[in-house]
Amino acid sequence: MSSSKQTSAHSGTWKRWVTTQNVVVAVVIVLGVIFPLVVDRPRFWLPNIGVRTLWMGTIAMSLVFLNKYVGLLSLAQMTFAGICSYGIGYFSVTMGLPIIPSIILSLGVGSLAGYITALIAVRTKAIYFMMITLALSQVFYSWASQAIEVTNARRGIAPIPRPNLGFIDLNDITTFYYFALFLAVLSYVIFRYTAKSQFGLAIQGIKDSPERMSALGYNVNRYRTAALTLAAFVASIGGVILVFDRNQVDPSFVSLDSTLNILVVAVVGGIGSLGGVFIGGLVFALLQNFAQDFTDRYMTLTGLVFIGVLLFFPAGLVGLGPIIRRLFSKRAKTSASKASSDTPTVERRAGTHNKKGQHK
Amino acid sequence: MDIWPLILLNGLTLGAVYFVASSGLTLIFGLMRVITLAHGTSFLFGGYLGYVAASVTGNWIVGLVAGLVAAGLLGLFTHQVLIRRFQDDDMRVALITLGVAVIGTDLMLAVFGGTATQVPFPQEFQVALQIPGIGDYPLIRLIILAIAVVLGLAIYLVIARTRFGSIVRAGVDDAPMTSATGVNVRVVFAVIFAVGSALAGLAGVISGTLFPLLPGQDGSYLLFSLVVVIVGGMGSIPGAAIGSVLVGVVSQFALVVAPTYAFVLTFALMVIVLAVRPQGIMGRPA
Repeated sequence: MSSSKQTSAHSGTWKRWVTTQNVVVAVVIVLGVIFPLVVDRPRFWLPNIGVRTLWMGTIAMSLVFLNKYVGLLSLAQMTFAGICSYGIGYFSVTMGLPIIPSIILSLGVGSLAGYITALIAVRTKAIYFMMITLALSQVFYSWASQAIEVTNARRGIAPIPRPNLGFIDLNDITTFYYFALFLAVLSYVIFRYTAKSQFGLAIQGIKDSPERMSALGYNVNRYRTAALTLAAFVASIGGVILVFDRNQVDPSFVSLDSTLNILVVAVVGGIGSLGGVFIGGLVFALLQNFAQDFTDRYMTLTGLVFIGVLLFFPAGLVGLGPIIRRLFSKRAKTSASKASSDTPTVERRAGTHNKKGQHK
Repeated sequence: MDIWPLILLNGLTLGAVYFVASSGLTLIFGLMRVITLAHGTSFLFGGYLGYVAASVTGNWIVGLVAGLVAAGLLGLFTHQVLIRRFQDDDMRVALITLGVAVIGTDLMLAVFGGTATQVPFPQEFQVALQIPGIGDYPLIRLIILAIAVVLGLAIYLVIARTRFGSIVRAGVDDAPMTSATGVNVRVVFAVIFAVGSALAGLAGVISGTLFPLLPGQDGSYLLFSLVVVIVGGMGSIPGAAIGSVLVGVVSQFALVVAPTYAFVLTFALMVIVLAVRPQGIMGRPA
């Protein structure tokens, strides 16, 4: 966004890509790649921290994308992921289809769920939208915990073993971790690319001023529907990682708790930052695994961290980056102006048009 | 045997509980344009404290008052300490109250455990009343139905007829302008938030009298309140009444017609209303 604008003055094709944001992303990806090599007990760290961070982050990223670029806070993202997980269980275990078609079909089903949700909820705004997506997610939860012929009710579908896809064998936990990392990075690239595309600019314009975009001839609701469907697709990618991480699927995947966990991950990481969700996911996975060692009330701890972040760092933990940079940087002025555009806060109500200047 | 009148009456009494809970939510939303996702927490907190108070004193009325006051204080605390500064930022308020809900769920599980508890009520209410066309019907359910009706009328009259009510209505329409006329809107907000939470707490006690109190009910009652408020129209007390009766009756009929999918049918009601009237039955267009 603003960073690419600043650097577009430079000539040279590769220099265009060397922005602070991209350097951070590259560092994070490198850290993700070497993660299995540096941890002491890979059999614990890879599934419990690594893979869990990746699927929570991917699903939370779809929530952040909607919040940041469309201005809608969807609480149904975990449900789309769960629907995709259920799809994989149903197609591959119940119906006995081969695994690759099952995955592809399930991604389609998850996206379709997003499309249907969009049809119901797209006319509503802000807090209404949030409540309706929350309610719809609970509809699916209650259906999933009762529809014995499709979802096997509370017992869920199990086992769903990690498959050998032919070219890679996901049975190996390290291979599976890299597979998950690849999907997470792919999701990130999809969102970054979309945000910069013509479609992305249009939805951001719609977010800033639906009336103006409508007057310009854009079909506002159609754009919102498309964005929601795309976000549901990426959430479904998270669902693919999730189902092979757990090796089963049951209603707890789409329960209120799971939905809220994804929201906590998004907010703690930074609800205005696509990549920040992985920090949120990491913090959450660490809390889940290690807080139990010294307290039974780790959900209380999670809640306190959540409220603390909301009260003091509304941009999430990634918001700390620019703060630290400002403290240490000599070019305080430039980084401060950059920080303000890099760290949007939780969406404010309509009326305060932000001045990102995306629509020319 | 004709069971439909019985189901209708069951739906009405269930709707009474939903109404008491959701009237608080719709009051808070109507005035402050924020949604508190800790509403279910107030509900369960009030229910548990009402249970403790009623068990200790042996007096059901004391239990009702205790639940009401406890949840009201919790609401006041939440409002004053956590969300007062961010009142204009509805998303942030929703998220902060969500954090409160997460903590509340966990702490109540720690204190009150996972077993079901039921609020004790007086012997003289534990009788069946002969109703023509239905047969025996528990008196306590009718008492609770009456409480909800009286409460609904009282809230409606306070808002429609008193000075405080007119301030509230003015605040709903235009808070800055109301503030400019010399009304201390902050105090009004705090009072409404406390009253809304207190109503949820009261709902918790009366629900705990009819049905067992369980962990997880904070989430389900938050959802039912949200559905009622969405169906009825946000910010409207008559809307909350209509919404609660609809949700209560539909869910009871659905239990008989299609027990497996009762919950889904209840939500389908919401989807239908939204498709036809996005602002809810009594809601004003945004």
